[in-house]
Amino acid sequence: MNIQLHTLSEVTGFNGRPGHFTVTVQKHPRYIDMDKCIACGLCAEKCPKKVPDEFNMGLNKRKAAYIKYGQAVPLKYVIDGQACIYLTRGKCRACEKFCPTGAINFEDKGETVQLQVGSVILAPGYKPFDPTGWDFYGYGQISDVVTSLEYERLLSAGGPHMGHLVRPSDETEPRSVAWIQCVGSRNTNNCDNGYCSSVCCMYAIKQTLITAEHAGAHSIQQTVFYMDMRSPGKEFERYYENAKTRGIRFLRSRPHTILPGPGGNGVCMRYVTEDGAVHDENFDMAVLSVGLAPAPESRQLAATFGIDLDPYGFAQSANLSPVNSSRAGVFVTGAFQAPKAIPRSVTQASAAAAAAAEALHAVRGTLTRRKSYPVEINVHGQAPRIGVFVCSCGINIAGVVDVKAVAEHARTLPHVVLVENNLFTCSVDTQDQIAARVREHQLNRIVIAACTPRTHEPLFQDTLREAGLNGYLIEMANIRNQNSWVHQREPAAATAKAKDQVRMAVAKAALADPLETLTVQVDPKALVIGGGVAGLTAALGLAEQGYATVLLEKSAQLGGNARRIAFTAKGEAVQPWLEHLVAQVRNHPAIEVLTEARMKTAQGSVGHFVSDIDVNGHVRTIHYGAAVLATGAAESCPNEYLYGQDERVLTQLALDRRFDTDPDAFAGDGSIAFIQCVGSRDAQRPYCSRICCTHTMRSAIALRERHPHINVYVLFRDIRTYGKREALYQRARELGVVFIRYTRDRKPHVTADADSLSVACTDPILQMPLVLKVDHLVLAAAIEPNATEELVSIYKCGINADGFLNEAHPKLRPVDLAVDGLFVCGMANYPQPIEESLAQAQAAVARACVLLSQQEMQLDAIKSMVTDRCDGCALCLDVCPYRAIRLVEAVGQNGSTTRRVATDPALCKGCGLCAATCPKGGIFVQGFTPDQLRAQVTAALQVVNE
Amino acid sequence: MIDIRIGQLAQTFDVHRNTIGNWIKSGRLRAVSTVGKRYLIEKEEMIRFCMSAGIPLQRIAALTGSDVPPSPSERPIIPSPIKREVRMSAKPIGAVMVVGGGIAGIQASLDLANSGYAVHLVERSAGIGGAMAQLDKTYPTNDCAM
Repeated sequence: MNIQLHTLSEVTGFNGRPGHFTVTVQKHPRYIDMDKCIACGLCAEKCPKKVPDEFNMGLNKRKAAYIKYGQAVPLKYVIDGQACIYLTRGKCRACEKFCPTGAINFEDKGETVQLQVGSVILAPGYKPFDPTGWDFYGYGQISDVVTSLEYERLLSAGGPHMGHLVRPSDETEPRSVAWIQCVGSRNTNNCDNGYCSSVCCMYAIKQTLITAEHAGAHSIQQTVFYMDMRSPGKEFERYYENAKTRGIRFLRSRPHTILPGPGGNGVCMRYVTEDGAVHDENFDMAVLSVGLAPAPESRQLAATFGIDLDPYGFAQSANLSPVNSSRAGVFVTGAFQAPKAIPRSVTQASAAAAAAAEALHAVRGTLTRRKSYPVEINVHGQAPRIGVFVCSCGINIAGVVDVKAVAEHARTLPHVVLVENNLFTCSVDTQDQIAARVREHQLNRIVIAACTPRTHEPLFQDTLREAGLNGYLIEMANIRNQNSWVHQREPAAATAKAKDQVRMAVAKAALADPLETLTVQVDPKALVIGGGVAGLTAALGLAEQGYATVLLEKSAQLGGNARRIAFTAKGEAVQPWLEHLVAQVRNHPAIEVLTEARMKTAQGSVGHFVSDIDVNGHVRTIHYGAAVLATGAAESCPNEYLYGQDERVLTQLALDRRFDTDPDAFAGDGSIAFIQCVGSRDAQRPYCSRICCTHTMRSAIALRERHPHINVYVLFRDIRTYGKREALYQRARELGVVFIRYTRDRKPHVTADADSLSVACTDPILQMPLVLKVDHLVLAAAIEPNATEELVSIYKCGINADGFLNEAHPKLRPVDLAVDGLFVCGMANYPQPIEESLAQAQAAVARACVLLSQQEMQLDAIKSMVTDRCDGCALCLDVCPYRAIRLVEAVGQNGSTTRRVATDPALCKGCGLCAATCPKGGIFVQGFTPDQLRAQVTAALQVVNE
Repeated sequence: MIDIRIGQLAQTFDVHRNTIGNWIKSGRLRAVSTVGKRYLIEKEEMIRFCMSAGIPLQRIAALTGSDVPPSPSERPIIPSPIKREVRMSAKPIGAVMVVGGGIAGIQASLDLANSGYAVHLVERSAGIGGAMAQLDKTYPTNDCAM
């Protein structure tokens, strides 16, 4: 509602200063009136011009009048001015003749608007690398060579073959598929993309697993050709291991040429394995795992906004201010800043939102509006008057289900006074029509037979409220997702099922009661747990946005792990920055810092929590509306490679400490070796610690630059310098650092004598055993989470098997915890470098501010309710996953005590487990009362009983 | 008759040029447009307007060529339009522009809009969703991207 969408628009001018920017936006013509278009699709159906569909990577055709995809937002058609026959050659106008609402407007000239804004966020994204020019892969010449994004569309149910996986050349199902990794990434030879694209290893694994699902009974032989397998994210390593156990072949090799397969179908690849053997192998399809490249338009955009780009063409930003561009007031996020996966993009987007809002918090709410609704009509005691609206959803439903027959059936049902069939029940004009019908016919219950309530119920509830009805007097029958989409081949049975669904919905709606939404007052204060860089940044961000914040730190000092880190991966000095950050936090009037503090208890829920805090022996009570958990992680203590037994064996941080205090501490050494993955990616900690490869690169480079005479060896399993960090790996190799790979079942063996340490390993390229004599051995020890059991049990939030706090949704809510009002950032969530911790901390600020900026919060009204029949047996307590139920004792009039359960509506999510468990009807969920469910079942069985 | 450009007037009055334009459009300042984006204003009208707006006459003395001090009875009757206009430099604008309607742009827009800022989301193509909408499934949970 407070977002104005400018589609088909480009920024052409930009000036002003932070807080007062003027942006010129050129809006290109759509040739279709957005207010009139009801997305019926007739224009596209009648349009005679076909062009390649860029949404499906040109694998099929679309019309010149089109929508990008079925669920497009805004769901309005557009005419492609470059392709339209009328606009290019002056004849046709077929769409105009057939458009039922007169929405076509060929006079549309577009417009230029000037917008005044306080901050700008740039998120123009990336462009998949285009391998067209590379003749050795034959892309564009051999039809069975596709890019990974084309393959993604082939797998998709919305794709050119409706999710039926076939190869392009002859549309047969492939029996063998090969992926080639790092196409257009980690390559300075054929292109200038020296960076790692961060996502290709993981999406290739995903595609293999999904392909296996598609294959069903007959298996598809799948091979992934890779350089290093990079799965340095939460649950990523397990995903990779899982793929290995499913029979997917991972080969460390790089096929140099793809040739057409036998008979012109499929491909033939020649590749060399590590033992030097040459193989020729045929595959039915080859997928090029293309990297993420900066979009060419981004360069123009950067020029318009006057911001700097890095040598690759991504936006330049400092590691200690990860979303700030080189221009104040302009923030950068997403794959425009660096190649990254969805969760990091989402996190960084929230971080950019926080940064953009920080300068504007004084004027928060000045340009936004809130919706107001008329007073609700009291429907108590009224006989039900039900209006049924049957949606055709274009042809989505009407193409299978006979909607007219469903509507006729609805007319015969009890209490139904009005039935209408709409082309799109969700379109804006139909919403107005529904509101008008409610008033005309005094309807007091509404049944919508359309799609899923998950996406559309809020819209219809809103319409009801605008018409003066309680939003819960609606019932939806999902005759699309649960019917027309899954019964496409049986229209008669689908129509019968749709009738059943509508009958059930009407029966339930007749018993619907208006429900009152619960309002929670929000305490505009925040609590941050953990005084590392993530916690400090979160506390400062919240305070800068105007919320009083308490920062808890269990030790006596602020700064956490960062106190032991000298430089970021980009070489920025950490200590001066950290000192400044700590001083800012300590001196901020809105922040209270409590060191040597521990949380004892937490009561309440989102919007108003109450906690007892033990501060150095004294207990204090604090109130807050939201909390950010930034409890961090730490370098683990290795238990192998003679660590602790020989003082020449160090961890990375110990090396840093000695090197930083005395750069010549290792001047007398002849050789130093690093061993990677010490305690990571093994049985005990089956995850990648993400930061150690980059850390080792920095140390190795520093050593070689300072002392070129020292031989530096790195023993690794996969080098995981993801994103722009790949440049460090390249620099290390240029400086002569020797990289030797080992495998988990053939770990290096370390022995010590008085002169030196001996590291025995096998070189996979030489195929020979090696013994390295080194003066120091550095172990890249795993990062393990700080103990959070206490906090987890206090807040009832979740951790994964490795002990890291679990986010509510790994993609879309990466900093929210499953408990509303709690947020996570920093290494408590997963091991990550400073820049990612900072971005996550800022993201947590943005998410917490969404909550704290509300004076009061409306909660959903679907909640559990305790009835008189509850006898306090407490069976429901055990099954409630949100711990919203507790046992209370009440003293009756005669002095006897009765036990009852009570529910906390703020915690209850209305899942209904309690109602299903209760043996005596002592608890039920509003909106799903036993009477309503019974009526639904009776209605469903009506046909059978007749 | 004073022959003057809007920009000059804006400078004299220390307001934005659009504000002068608005005054003229609304009839608060009677002026006749003439060639070269210039306006003609009666000298008396100018003095009347300055007094009603509470602008020291000295400021426009050079323009009007008159230095008549206003008598107390001629003090402003209508509320000063200048004071009610928000100065350019006063407060930042509570709106944010987000360029790019992919998953990052959408998330940033939602967070901002839900915490009290107006958002202009600018997207090059006909609909938002970006690259994520093209994906079939997402790792590591194999959730549908749509």
